[in-house]
Amino acid sequence: MKCLLIASESAEVLFHWSDREYRQNIQEKYGVSQEEGEGLPAFEDILSTLFAPIIISCSTLEDSYTSFTTENNHIYVLHQFDECLYIAVNGDGEEKEDDLRRKLYVLKKMVEVMFGMVTLSGNLLRKELRPQDTEQRARLWNYLQSLLETYSLLRENDQSFLVEAVERLIHPQLCELCIEFLERRLVQQLNSSVERAGEEVLHAFVLVHTKLLAFYSSRNASILSPSDLLALIVMAQNMYPSNVDLDDMSPEVSNGLTLFFGLLEKAGRGETPVFEFVDPEIQMAEDSLHTLEINPPDPASPRRVFLEVSHKDGLYPMMPHSMYCLSLWPGITLVLLTKISSSALAISVYKYLEDFDKLEKRLHEGHGAPASARSPLNMQDIRSKMDKFIKSLEPHDLQYAQLQNVWAEFKSRAFSRAGSGFNKDLIPWCKNMKTQLCGIYRQCFLTGSLSADVTHRLSAGLQERAQAMVREKLVDWKDFLLVKSKRNITMVSYPFLFLNDFPGLVHFICVDRATGQMIAPSLNITERTTSELGKGPVANYIKNKVWALVRTTRRYLQKGYSTVTLRDGDFYFCYFLWFENETGYKLQPVDIPVLADDSPPIGMLAYDYYKLLRYYSKNHKGENVKCYELLTVHLGVIPTEIILQHCRQLASKLWEPSRNPLL
Amino acid sequence: MAELKSPDTRRCRYFFLYDGSKVRGEGDPTRDGICYFYPEETPMDKQDLLCGQLAGVGRCVSELSSSAVRILRLRRCKFAIRMKDDFFWALGCSMEVPTVSVCELLDHLIDLFCFYNGSVRQSYQLNSKETLAAEWARYLSHVLSGPSELHYILQSVRTLDLTNVDPLLLLKAALILQACQRCPLVLAGCVLFRGRVVSTQMPPQLTIKVMVHESETYAKTQRSSGRSTPTSDGGPVSATAVFLTPSELQYLQSAPVDKISSSHSAPEKDAPPKKTRLSRTLSDIPSSESTPSRPASCQSLQRASFSPHTSSSEDSVFSPAPSQGSSADSPNPSPLSPIRRFSYGGNAHEAEGGTPDSLHSGGGGVSQMPSERDGSAFEESLHLSRGAASEMTDCGNAAFRDEKTPAGEGGVCCLKPRGHKAEMRQPPSGSCSFDSLEESPLVSMALYVHRVNSLVLALLVEPCFMGDSASMEEVNHSSLASLNGLEAHLRAISPAAPGAAGPYLFAHYDSVQSTLTTNVSGRPGGASEYLFVRATSLLHSHFFDTETLQEAIIRSAGTAVYGTRSVAQETYFQQHGGSMRNSGIPNQQDSAFSLPSKARHRLLKHGVNLL
Repeated sequence: MKCLLIASESAEVLFHWSDREYRQNIQEKYGVSQEEGEGLPAFEDILSTLFAPIIISCSTLEDSYTSFTTENNHIYVLHQFDECLYIAVNGDGEEKEDDLRRKLYVLKKMVEVMFGMVTLSGNLLRKELRPQDTEQRARLWNYLQSLLETYSLLRENDQSFLVEAVERLIHPQLCELCIEFLERRLVQQLNSSVERAGEEVLHAFVLVHTKLLAFYSSRNASILSPSDLLALIVMAQNMYPSNVDLDDMSPEVSNGLTLFFGLLEKAGRGETPVFEFVDPEIQMAEDSLHTLEINPPDPASPRRVFLEVSHKDGLYPMMPHSMYCLSLWPGITLVLLTKISSSALAISVYKYLEDFDKLEKRLHEGHGAPASARSPLNMQDIRSKMDKFIKSLEPHDLQYAQLQNVWAEFKSRAFSRAGSGFNKDLIPWCKNMKTQLCGIYRQCFLTGSLSADVTHRLSAGLQERAQAMVREKLVDWKDFLLVKSKRNITMVSYPFLFLNDFPGLVHFICVDRATGQMIAPSLNITERTTSELGKGPVANYIKNKVWALVRTTRRYLQKGYSTVTLRDGDFYFCYFLWFENETGYKLQPVDIPVLADDSPPIGMLAYDYYKLLRYYSKNHKGENVKCYELLTVHLGVIPTEIILQHCRQLASKLWEPSRNPLL
Repeated sequence: MAELKSPDTRRCRYFFLYDGSKVRGEGDPTRDGICYFYPEETPMDKQDLLCGQLAGVGRCVSELSSSAVRILRLRRCKFAIRMKDDFFWALGCSMEVPTVSVCELLDHLIDLFCFYNGSVRQSYQLNSKETLAAEWARYLSHVLSGPSELHYILQSVRTLDLTNVDPLLLLKAALILQACQRCPLVLAGCVLFRGRVVSTQMPPQLTIKVMVHESETYAKTQRSSGRSTPTSDGGPVSATAVFLTPSELQYLQSAPVDKISSSHSAPEKDAPPKKTRLSRTLSDIPSSESTPSRPASCQSLQRASFSPHTSSSEDSVFSPAPSQGSSADSPNPSPLSPIRRFSYGGNAHEAEGGTPDSLHSGGGGVSQMPSERDGSAFEESLHLSRGAASEMTDCGNAAFRDEKTPAGEGGVCCLKPRGHKAEMRQPPSGSCSFDSLEESPLVSMALYVHRVNSLVLALLVEPCFMGDSASMEEVNHSSLASLNGLEAHLRAISPAAPGAAGPYLFAHYDSVQSTLTTNVSGRPGGASEYLFVRATSLLHSHFFDTETLQEAIIRSAGTAVYGTRSVAQETYFQQHGGSMRNSGIPNQQDSAFSLPSKARHRLLKHGVNLL
């Protein structure tokens, strides 16, 4: 009983996703209210009709709704992002309010990665999310839906998506070897090839399932933020789902997946799986979900992604990149991120967007024209730059003409004597300019440039060669890597360590928030593999406890508590968050901001909360602050002093390679 | 909505009751449906907006999920919602109050209303909005009058500081209650002193409800220049109609040994077997099978209870507070008058049982002791009114109130001198329409209150008790002298000097008895108190959500709070000062981790045993 939808202010459904129970539930509801059975309208229209009162009430009330809970524990979470209202519903008790809020923010992040600055214009985003062409719409929605499903699966089963930090494969020699190979051989060779068509490989990394084996960034690339990296891993997983480790998931999950792939097979054979209460259009959507985007039409065509880039002069969000996702073997993937040739344009567009946004704010506040030429918003300067910018664009289409017209109109109103000058009348023209700029951005980076434009991408041959090179390098390690990724660190592999040094320790997760990486023993919860936690049910129990613990500690962190210890049933849980400077000196704790209940979820995928924290904890400007988190699960019978001693040892040892007992 | 934005320190921001049945058509204005809105000074437009939108969205969500909305959050305000029939209640609190507490507060408010007024739908059929708005305001102000913010989070019964009271006095209070309970028409009672519980036989929830009535009259007498004289509205003995839920009634009527742990009721060996029989019958109220057996049992009980009172020698105990110095203020303490009045009330009942409109003609009735026939007639009326509980008690009230006019000298009087009672005397239209929230009929009972200065004996009694002078006399006889003695002793106890709290804050909540012991003053200001309350509220919600959680330590940069709970209690502890020397990394020497042992030692002297 899960559902998620994006609606415009006029209650138009811009995107929706729901599971079968929810669809049935809604269709029954709607069927009851229908007088005559003329066949049900499209599901999105039913949703729109049923949710309309809520959506409209949201815009009526100034202090908007954030959530509803009913007596049978259905939870509704709502969040307004710009002009779009996101609603997530759960009716089966599997997700709590903060899970739903996180899902909304993750969807928002995915939309940003997919559409970049187009998301800044409500109008354009509406068109982008709900294309007029129904086939195109189905394709897009199916892609987004499968992304959401992939994310949910990872969130429920993968510790790295639980704490939202990247997990590395722990094998220092192999990692080093691999990074060297990426640097010296692969990236160098790619970037010196003529077949790269103006693209430049910035980042290259190898994933084993969701774990990072090696990551290399070229020298002139900016750092890939953990948030973006996690989003890219979701996309890669979505493209090449780790169906090989079906047996490593909980029975329900694997059942779900078996069903999923069963359907896929059926659809492939041209059979139509029949559901009750499913109208043809949804049926079409469901089928296409499994066929359309899993195999993109042209495997060599990259996916356009918009990622944050930090330059010398500042941070630029949503800069266009191309993502090449090359499968080496099932479960092992090579990902290449390239800078596209026209990416300088995106920076300019972003700068102008910022300028017009600032101007609009000033006008709203009634400040009028920026007085001095030295003020950060120098309109004369912007005017001349904008003129140049427009000239530099290739005058070949409608979008260009529109921008030119609006700019001319803006100039005549703002600068000429006859115009009204800088006052509130100019606000609509500011908005219009922003829309036009987003339009140009969309024109350049989103529409038509991907599949049609074969000339602007790494050639298929080059991609194949890259794939072959890495395959050759890793072929001897392949099986080892696949096993290692499932049993990265297991307690059983270090029996002496855990029994002698840490008696009573059941599980731990340690996260370095500055780099966005985590270390944790694997939790194997299948019947087949017996871990030190015993067989399935016990491990599953521990898993649920760990998941609940992370949720709990986030709740306390949100309210400003950075240390939490809990005695819960037979277990004792600890959570610590602390700061260090670069030399490893522990910093005095600071008052962590107390956030509202509906603030962005604590984590790194949708929104990097820890960046904010590290900023808060700075004593001096320019200081680089590291932030660590440690979660432990102990047996409750262990004395607290011993538990704290363990925590201290883990905290000090894990991140120092020389002393890390796990390496 | 401007008010939602302003930094509002009030915990409760909004409370309203909206009746959707009044707004059916397109053209019906929203304000027709607004039964009560707090704060009352809120502009009408804003009231319309909030009620209309929340009720509309509430209905939409309820239809989508086939279940009523319970919690509705805005960005700066959270609402507990109750939807029942067409009624829509919403209580909006600041975000810092735990959600579970907001829900409890709202339920408590509605329960209070039903306790004193009976079914909501019927109340609104019989009374004007304005009258009932005053009722809501009254209950709301009571619910919101907690001495500190902790009282919002942990709903509790206010008790005397037991560490300060001689245990013998508590025993005495318990004995008084037991003595009263010997009268089979008395269900249970409690003894209150200055608005605090000394001893109670009722479950905490019920005690809290009873206290609303008492604390209001207490406040009233305080206001009237502290005179201890029985005034017309605060006479020594009074009665008011109340409504119990079947489960509450069942609890009260169950044999004392079955009740959980209540130390007061445990030693009650002499509970008459008749009483059990009575309770068994009464607890079956919804089923019609029990009907034939009831009159007989009640009659026989009455007969039994009459005998001791026929001798007028004991009547003196009925005179208002003879041992107080105030007797001069009651000029004619006629020993017989209370009896006469009650019998008169009984007559009125009888009259009411036959023809409701003949009440006033009954007003000129004769003063006679209730005979057996009277009793059975009354019983008949009880049966008749079982379908319409309010009818019966209201006529009872009316009868008492009629009596009040000539009396003036603290005899028996009704404590609810409300104009709308007149309307209520009309026979209710749909006499069988009960729509309490529990979907089961409320049972009408009476609350008998006997005041001795600041001390109050409150008894939940069968409605026929008030018409039964013999029982009244018995109860009065067995309790009055002891009450006077107890009052004198309690008055002599000096209130504990506040402020000597120690270098720590704590809150100890007994979840069985719903009592809260704390040294948090509730005075505004005090950063550490604020932090403590905030942590307590978080931990309390966590304890509520996670059944297996036993203890927790949470620490921010400035403070650390320890919370522990068992089946019967929740305790929160915070140490002052001693700057938190730590860097956040795990460290055994960290002062936060010594909180459990400190709490164990420190709290012993407050009577809290965490060992």
